[in-house]
Order: sequence, then structure tokens, then C-alpha cells
Amino acid sequence: MNGQHKCLADSNPFTPEPARIIRSYHLTADVKFFQVRFIDVERALSFQYKAGQFAMVSILGAGEAPFCLSSTPSRPGLLEFCIRKMGTVTNALFRLPENALIGLRGPYGNGFPVEEMTGKDILIIMGGMGVAPLRSVLLYCLDNRDWFGRVVLLYGAKRPAEMIFREEFFSLKTRTDLECHLTVDADDTGQWPERTGVVTTLFPSLKKVDPENTYALVCGPPVMYKFVIKELIKLNIPKNQILMTLERRMKCGIGKCGHCAIDYIYTCLDGPVFTYWDVLHMKELI
Amino acid sequence: MAQDKLKIGVYELTGCAGDALLIVDCEEELVPIFTAADIEVFLMAKSDNRHGDLDLALVEGSVSTEKEKEELLDIRRRSKIVVAFGNCACVGGIQAAFLDKKNWEKNLKKVYGNHDFSHSQPVQSKPIDAFVKVDYYLPGCPVGKEQFLSTFNRLLRGNPPELYRFPVCIECKWQENDCLLNKDILCLGPLTLGGCGSVCPDHNIPCFGCWGPTEEANLTSEYRLLLNKGFDVAAIKNRMANYSGTRIAEFFETFRKEKR
Amino acid sequence: MRILKLQKKDFFPFLEVISKKAELWAPVAKQGGPPAETLPDPHWASLAKREKFSFERIQDFSKIAMNTTRTIIPPKKIMVPASFNMFHFDEKEYREDLSHVTNRILFGVHPCDIHGLLILDKLFSQAYSDPYYLEARKKTIILGLSCWPDEFCFCKSTHTDIIEEGYDLFFTNLESHFLVWIGSSRGDDLIRLAPDYFDERLTEKDIKTYINWQEERDNAFQTEINFTRLPDLMELKYKAPFWEEAGAACLACGSCSMVCPTCNCYNVVDKQFLGNRPGQRLRYWDSCTLTEYSEVAGGENFRGHKSQRLRLWYTHKLRAYVSKYGKPSCVGCGRCLVTCPVQIHAKSVADALEGHPVDAFWKKFAEEVSK
Repeated sequence: MNGQHKCLADSNPFTPEPARIIRSYHLTADVKFFQVRFIDVERALSFQYKAGQFAMVSILGAGEAPFCLSSTPSRPGLLEFCIRKMGTVTNALFRLPENALIGLRGPYGNGFPVEEMTGKDILIIMGGMGVAPLRSVLLYCLDNRDWFGRVVLLYGAKRPAEMIFREEFFSLKTRTDLECHLTVDADDTGQWPERTGVVTTLFPSLKKVDPENTYALVCGPPVMYKFVIKELIKLNIPKNQILMTLERRMKCGIGKCGHCAIDYIYTCLDGPVFTYWDVLHMKELI
Repeated sequence: MAQDKLKIGVYELTGCAGDALLIVDCEEELVPIFTAADIEVFLMAKSDNRHGDLDLALVEGSVSTEKEKEELLDIRRRSKIVVAFGNCACVGGIQAAFLDKKNWEKNLKKVYGNHDFSHSQPVQSKPIDAFVKVDYYLPGCPVGKEQFLSTFNRLLRGNPPELYRFPVCIECKWQENDCLLNKDILCLGPLTLGGCGSVCPDHNIPCFGCWGPTEEANLTSEYRLLLNKGFDVAAIKNRMANYSGTRIAEFFETFRKEKR
Repeated sequence: MRILKLQKKDFFPFLEVISKKAELWAPVAKQGGPPAETLPDPHWASLAKREKFSFERIQDFSKIAMNTTRTIIPPKKIMVPASFNMFHFDEKEYREDLSHVTNRILFGVHPCDIHGLLILDKLFSQAYSDPYYLEARKKTIILGLSCWPDEFCFCKSTHTDIIEEGYDLFFTNLESHFLVWIGSSRGDDLIRLAPDYFDERLTEKDIKTYINWQEERDNAFQTEINFTRLPDLMELKYKAPFWEEAGAACLACGSCSMVCPTCNCYNVVDKQFLGNRPGQRLRYWDSCTLTEYSEVAGGENFRGHKSQRLRLWYTHKLRAYVSKYGKPSCVGCGRCLVTCPVQIHAKSVADALEGHPVDAFWKKFAEEVSK
């Protein structure tokens, strides 16, 4: 909690800055990948963020909505988003061609405590769209591989066709410095080379975990948390080293509109990354 | 922006045609509306109507004859987006406020006797979503000009509309009106969809519910509250049933069952 | 702090002088409503009897209501209007629209409402500054005015019955004269526009009159709530059945949020027009008691039940602000008490939390329905 906030006295923090969609393509039937860059070159380079933070994206006439950054801060200049078609803003965004203009402001939220995580083993567990925020931290760990201990990735999707960044993760499997386990709930193709079963079925195949030295990062559909956390607690990973990132309705991203309020905190300022201890401590988080 | 203009049809089933009239009443915007889109069908506003495939159909009125039912099914088949346009299309309107089928049959007989309906067989009046899938609901009696124009604009640009979902009370407080319900006046503000700009309470007239109930309308609580304020059941029922169509019928039906 | 004396006869002339500087806004009586004696319920009859007030632009000083209770809507409406435009936008850019900001003098703000503004100051400036609120706040001169509690005021319980900051001038309305506190350099500048109306020499008698007035006012409060226990009780009674009861009766009308001086939530909607007119990004007051408040794209609602939403409302008033700033974000203005049609308000909720008998429609409703 308590991310760093900057306060620019004479600028309007609500003003979207113009950015261009450099590339976009479908990752699955309803999930698209967007590469975006600020028009202003200096802004593109000065936009510094942490893995796990999010930005507010404005689509002309459709509105504004929060999206977590899927790119890694270790590769500045281009911002990447991984977005599912869900509501008004995403519907409009999906129709935009490459080179179209969008509005962007941020980065917001606390992000993952990467300083704290340095030197530790990193266990990343994601389901479905949970890949959107966690890809950022995964790439960050891989780009700065020497700073971390073991890096383990567990990713579960419903079907092979719904596995987001499928090729990217398959190519990661060849790396020896990353333990990459993929699974699908059900294989409707008969061609799936990896495991089938929900993401928790990957736990037994994990090599022994050093709990005190491990940070577990979890993101996925609401139903997933309960089961994954049970496994993590079984592994004796401390509650404040289990990190999860949450989704809420947001209209401002900067602690004003109130929509993302949970108990006495704002997801946009104090989150979206919370520890499992926060979850126990503050009702209604998950 | 898309170069191809949207093909639009405005249809009127059973209703007062007030919603179609509202479009015509958008005087300043009328030329831009007809310029921005291809209005293929609009009986009230033009004579050469082409009943082909449509991008958008605005359907006003409820279904109250077999013929209208067929017409509606046909509109749905030809249209990409169907919008329930106004209170009658959304919830059935005044003509749908009968509590049950028997009651409706009795009333039909009372009014028409043994009339032979050679033109088209009447059916119990229902909102259009009783027969077809509805994409968006534009409530109101008639629909609000502001909400119609903003919805029209969004649909033209391919964006789904953002409709008001809050009750009349919200806008009523924006206008800083003193709560009429608190003055023991039978006001349906808390139950009724806002977007009208709380025009009635602004003039000290209680809300009659003409935009239909909100998705979460707490009929039970307001009903009890009004009873506690000394209103009799008939007065409450009449007011509530006026514009709430089939939804209020269901509500009073459950009440009747409870009483037994 | 300087305290001056202003004779009543000099009050309008003083307003005349300062109102040349900026728009003058003050509470005026609102018309309408049926005669109270026609109303069956004595509780509502007593409410209907009293006049309602609203902050309006003043052209005629005699219209200013000097002895008012609360206005229907608190002065937050001056800083962030119920609905306003944040940006004009077109394909190229979003252009900030601060047209709701004008130089204003806001007279007749009671201590509770000044406390309300101080709380909004914190909420709208923590972490990031909200220019829409803060610009308007900077350009609004606050002239406070003392008041007399009615049976719904409980600002003594929230310690917001007196005010030490957040105003430019504060007028204590005594029988024969005003005592005027100067709270800011800007307030002092106003005095200097007409220094002759003010007297710096307060007599022993003046002081005695003021102290007596204060004591009498202290004793006039009829509603009391013990706020110190409430943060704990919010936690301990998180699952108490009364939340369900209140939720069942709640009309989800959002009025409590609209009238609350510290409710700051808002919604944002983009609007476009036919032709080449630039679009607008509209911002309007929202309420956490409404269905769509916690709904995300795709339709999942994190607070599907009204009881959960009510509990969030009261968590924010009674507990959240306490944990950050050491006091509740309720200022005891009594607006929820006179506004909620089913009487879910600070008093009845506090009573329920304390385990005291609750005298409110929602409780009665729960009993009726369970029968």
C-alpha cells in the first residue's frame, strides 16, 4: 500500500494526453493487444511506472476507463495493454485502427513492491485475464533476471484458444532460468501439449518452495483466489508476501470519484496491488 | 468516422406516438438528424418508407395485437440494433397495467362486447421485450430529448449509449427541491428512472412514474411507507400501476398471494 | 485572531460595499409545499412546517435568511456543481473547462458546513489536487454565520459546532450586534473596504453577552450521538442483522449522498453532439447507495445488495475518515435526518450500532415485513 503520488500544482491531473496506437492485434477472440506511444516524445520517455500500475485510457466519445499496463518498465517508450472486450470503452477501442489517437493519463496505483521483491524467489500465478498486470512483472523479472532468485510461472486458461500470449509463453518454456507451467481447464482441440486442469493442479509439480524467501503474485478471476491462496498458505508463504491485484470501477484513478472505495481505502491510490493480509484485514476486498 | 450512413427506422406500435413526435420536436437538431443518418422508415415524418434491412430500429409502443407481434418480429429480423423507445415499449405503458389475463379478458369484453376483430386479433398488451431481444431501453413518456439525442449520437458513432440508471430523486436533489415524499405527498420519485430532469417535482408536482421503474425500484418499501403515511391501498396501487406496466402487475400479484 | 463588533444597522451597508467585489450568495427561503396541518404524520408535519433554505445568488439583501437552519444542499454545490463539464474534446485534444469557477462571496455558512468544506479540502487534495474543486474553493470567500440548533442538529457531538479555520470572516449573530471574527488576510481586506462600520473595542458587557449566548446555545442541542465508539462498532457490528433491515427498506434514492456536506463521489460520462460541436466530458454527483456504483464493465457488481452499499456509506462517514484524519467525516448538520424518506440516517444507524432502540421507519418496516 501507499504508492508514491506526485502532485503537479499547476496542471490538471484529469487531462488525457494524446497517444497513438502503434500496433494492435487479437490475442484471442475477445482479447486484443495494444502497443501505444505518447505523441510527445519527451513524455513517452519520461512516463515512468512500476509493474502493476495502471493508466486511464480515453476513447473519443466513448469515455474513459482504467487498464493495467502489461508492458515492463524496463523497456521504456512503448506502453502495452492487454484488453478484453467488455463494455463501452473497450468496444470502441477494439474498433480503432492502428495509428488511431487515444487519450492517456497515469501511471496510477501502487504497483508491485519490486524493491522489496529483489533477491527473492518470485512465484507468479495467473488465470485468464490475470495475465494483463502480471505479464508486466514477469517481463520485468526476466529483463533483470540477476536481481531475483527463482522465477516460477503458473498460468491457467479455460481452453487452448483462450490462452493469452500463448506463443510468448511457449517460447519462454525453453528458458532454463524460468520454470514455466501452463495448463488449460479443458482441451477441446486434442492438440494441447501441456497439462489440463485448473491452475491449482500445477502446485504438486512445483519444486520445493522456500516460503520465507518467496513472493507469490496472484491475479485471475474472482473464483480463483480462494483456491490459490489455500495452496499458498499450505506452502507457508507469509500472508504479506502473497500479492494480488484487483479490479474495481474507477472514474478518476486518483482518489476523487469514490467508485473504487473498499472499506476505508481507495483501490486506485492504495491498490490495485494488495497483500493477502490486507484482504483479511479489510473486508470486501475479494 | 464511418462513411456509410446508418440506416434507421422509427416504428410505432400501440402508444400515443409521443416518442416519435419528440424526434420531430427536436427542431434545431432535425436537419442534422436526417443528414447524419438514412431515415428509412418514419411514418410520422416522411411518405416514402422503405422496409429493408436496418442498422437501428427505434420501436415505440407496446404490442397489443397479433399483427403488431408479427410486425415486431419482422423488425427484429431486419435490424442490427433494436431500441425500446419510450415507456410503452420498455415496460408496456398504461395499457399493460392489468394485473392478470382474466382481468384483461373481462375488461376487453366490457369495452368491446362481442365485437368481431376482423382487422387483427387483440392480445394482452406487453412490452416489446416479451417477444424480441431488445438491445437498449430508452424510457420516458415521452423519452427525454436530451437522452434521445445523446443516445442517437452514441449509436451513430458505434458506441453503446450510457443511459441514466438512477432514480428521479437524484436530479430532484440536484435541483435542490424539498422532498415531496417527506411532505406526505404521494411521490414516486424513488421508484422511477431519472433523466427527465425532475420536471414535475421542480414545479411541486409529485412524480407519477412516467419513466417507468428503476432496475432496483423498492416497491415494497415505498408501498409500506405510503400506507404508513395514511394513503389507502387503492390510491397507491392506481398511482404505481399507471406507468410501471408489467412489473407492477407482478409486484401486486405477489402481494395478493401473500395476503392469502 | 481579531474580533470586531458590527452594529446590525451597518450590516447591509457592509454587504453593499463588499458585494461590488464578487457575486454574493447566501441562504434564502424556498417556497412551496402543502400546509403542515394537512399532514397526518406528526414527524413529517413538523418537518414540513419549517421553511427550507437554499444558497442562491443575492440581488436583494432583505431576502437573506439570517436565522436559518441547514440549507437543503450544502455549500459543496458552489465548489463542484451537481453536474458540470470537465473538458471540451475533439479529435485533437481535451480542453479543460473551468467555467463554473467565478469569484463569489458565500455568506451564511454555518460552522458545520465550514467543517464540511475542510473535509472536502482534504478529500479533493490528498494525493492529487482536483482543480475543479480547488479553483472554485480558492475563488470563494467564506463568510460564516452563527446558528441555533434545531432538534436534528448534532454538531456538538461531532465537535463541529464551533469553527476556528476555513472562513474569511465569521459573524456571530447576537441580539443587538454581530461579533465578527477575521479568519484570513482576505477577510481582513474586506473589513478594510469599510473600516468605519467596525469597532475594535469590545466592552466587558459585550464579552458577557457572547459567553451567555454560547452557553445557551450549548444547552439547546437535543440530539446527541457518541461518535467515539462508532469506529469500533462499525467493525464489531459488520455482520449485524440491522444492516439487512436498513438495506431492505432503503429506497436507493441517493438523497442522503446528495445532501451530505462531505459526500464527494461523482460519475463521468462523455457526450457528443451532432455536427462539429466539440464533445463534453460531464461530471455529476453520484451516490454509493445506487445500484451501478460498484459495477464494473461486464456487469459484475461488487456491492449487489443495498445493505452492503449502506454499510459502505456509513463506513466512510463513521470510520474511514477517522482512521486517516482522526475524526469522523460527519459534521452533524442533520441533513440526512431530515432527508431520508425511510429514516436511515446518522442517528438511527448510530442507535442501531449502539444497540439502542431505533425509532425509524426502516425498523418499523422490518417488523411489518417479518410478520
